[in-house]
Amino acid sequence: MKPPSHRTTLNRREFLRAGGGLGLAGLVASANPAARAAAPGRASPSAYDVSRFETTDPRLIGYVELRRFKAPRPDARRLAVGPEGRLWIAAGHYVVAAGETGAVWVEIAFNNPVRCVAVAPDGVVYAGLRDHVEVLDAAGKRTAVWESPRNRAWLTGLLATADTVFAADSGNRVIWRHDRAGQVLGRLGEKDKDRDIPGFVLPSPHLDVELHPDGLLRVNNTGRHLVEAYTFDGDREFFWGKPGMGIEAFCGCCNPIALAVLPDGRIVTAEKGLPRVKVYGAQGNLECVVAGVESFPENLRATRGESRNDTLNLSLDIAADSQGRIYILDPVSAEIRVMAPKPAA
Amino acid sequence: MSVPPKPESPLNRRQFLRDGARVAAMTGLGAIFGLAATRSAKDQSYVWQIDPARCVYCGNCATACVLKPSAVKCVQSYPICGYCDLCTGYFVPEPNALNTGAENQVCPTAAIERRFIEDPYYEYNINEDLCIGCARCVEGCTRFGNGSFYLQVRHDRCLNCNECSIARVCAGDAFRRVPASQPYIIKLTAHE
Repeated sequence: MKPPSHRTTLNRREFLRAGGGLGLAGLVASANPAARAAAPGRASPSAYDVSRFETTDPRLIGYVELRRFKAPRPDARRLAVGPEGRLWIAAGHYVVAAGETGAVWVEIAFNNPVRCVAVAPDGVVYAGLRDHVEVLDAAGKRTAVWESPRNRAWLTGLLATADTVFAADSGNRVIWRHDRAGQVLGRLGEKDKDRDIPGFVLPSPHLDVELHPDGLLRVNNTGRHLVEAYTFDGDREFFWGKPGMGIEAFCGCCNPIALAVLPDGRIVTAEKGLPRVKVYGAQGNLECVVAGVESFPENLRATRGESRNDTLNLSLDIAADSQGRIYILDPVSAEIRVMAPKPAA
Repeated sequence: MSVPPKPESPLNRRQFLRDGARVAAMTGLGAIFGLAATRSAKDQSYVWQIDPARCVYCGNCATACVLKPSAVKCVQSYPICGYCDLCTGYFVPEPNALNTGAENQVCPTAAIERRFIEDPYYEYNINEDLCIGCARCVEGCTRFGNGSFYLQVRHDRCLNCNECSIARVCAGDAFRRVPASQPYIIKLTAHE
């Protein structure tokens, strides 16, 4: 009697099919540069590892995304919220005003790239180009051009109040205080031993200025990893911030790169290197995370060098409106996200 | 009776010979110019170089080169450098202190020299005799800083292999042939 044949666990056809599948997977992996970099045996023998800082404790997340929309123009750099709640975006050679859903309201063209924008309470628009400020009335007509008082200007931030305009000049490491006619009234943040001001340290062009409800300005001193509070006359009242990769600190050589102030006085910060947005109390205690590193996968890939990106500007920008919503501009994905506080459980 | 005119031949023997001679002359001239052009191209030699815009600092330059240590070295672009106290190309991600202690340095061979300029600025120089091209500093500097550190093939060391062993495994396809008369790709623009 013929003994019953034992069924093998893998027959020849299955074996060939599995082998073919593995071969195909290997081919795909070898064609993908990122996979090649990550392949075992090919990684750096002593990799620069910050991966443990690229995840955020979910308990720290205090905001949810309401919506996101594409930036209306390529090469968007900076955001500002206007007096009527409109979003003003400096993008390429344009300043674009958009509604909170991204619908474009107006576009204003410039001859050179616009690097920052601010809108005064009366609707006058101030556009910062590399070395000068262009002033436009509420109808979008150019009314004045303010040349920078010094050479080497590199304007990166603007703030317009009812009677004063502040221009953050990272090239000269100073905040210029102008009246509404463009006359220079003073300089803030320059090194001054007598006034106990150490001066701005700005390895890269990221200097921002915001007005706090307490009447003081808030300025980011990136190379010192500080948020500093100044009076309009330039006295440094206090400061806070510390360097570190951890979530409570400011990472890398030079952060935070952008600031926003919430209506209740809390400070929103944006960082580069580990792209993340956080909210601090007025005295510098970390309150929550608006969007952690994992929220910006495209930006993170570009930061790691894993994706080709034509833009050199990888830095997030932020703005806050009167309802406490936070707008985040990611230039890599060319998206603007609208974030709102997480509803209470 | 009139003789009908002889139809004209489309090509007589004289024309055929003349055209033939012309074609032969043109072919000869073409061959001479072609040979000259080929020889001239051979005189123009090429060398391997890394395009910093494509480098993904994978670390293969340190291990794949036929030379030990590698012919790839980190170079410093001083106009781009921020002269940071907390240089992310010099220090590990979480240093104990901002000093030259070996435990704080990202470079495994201490090839980066840190020199005080004035508070709070420091200058960073690469000691190429120690550099192994591992790109740890390049990643730290490019990711968090201005990207002033980047890798280049140093041609006082490179053997210019016909098939570069690093180029074969380069994760970013950053290796390319450049004219020997311009052997380096100078990085001019910082990340913002």
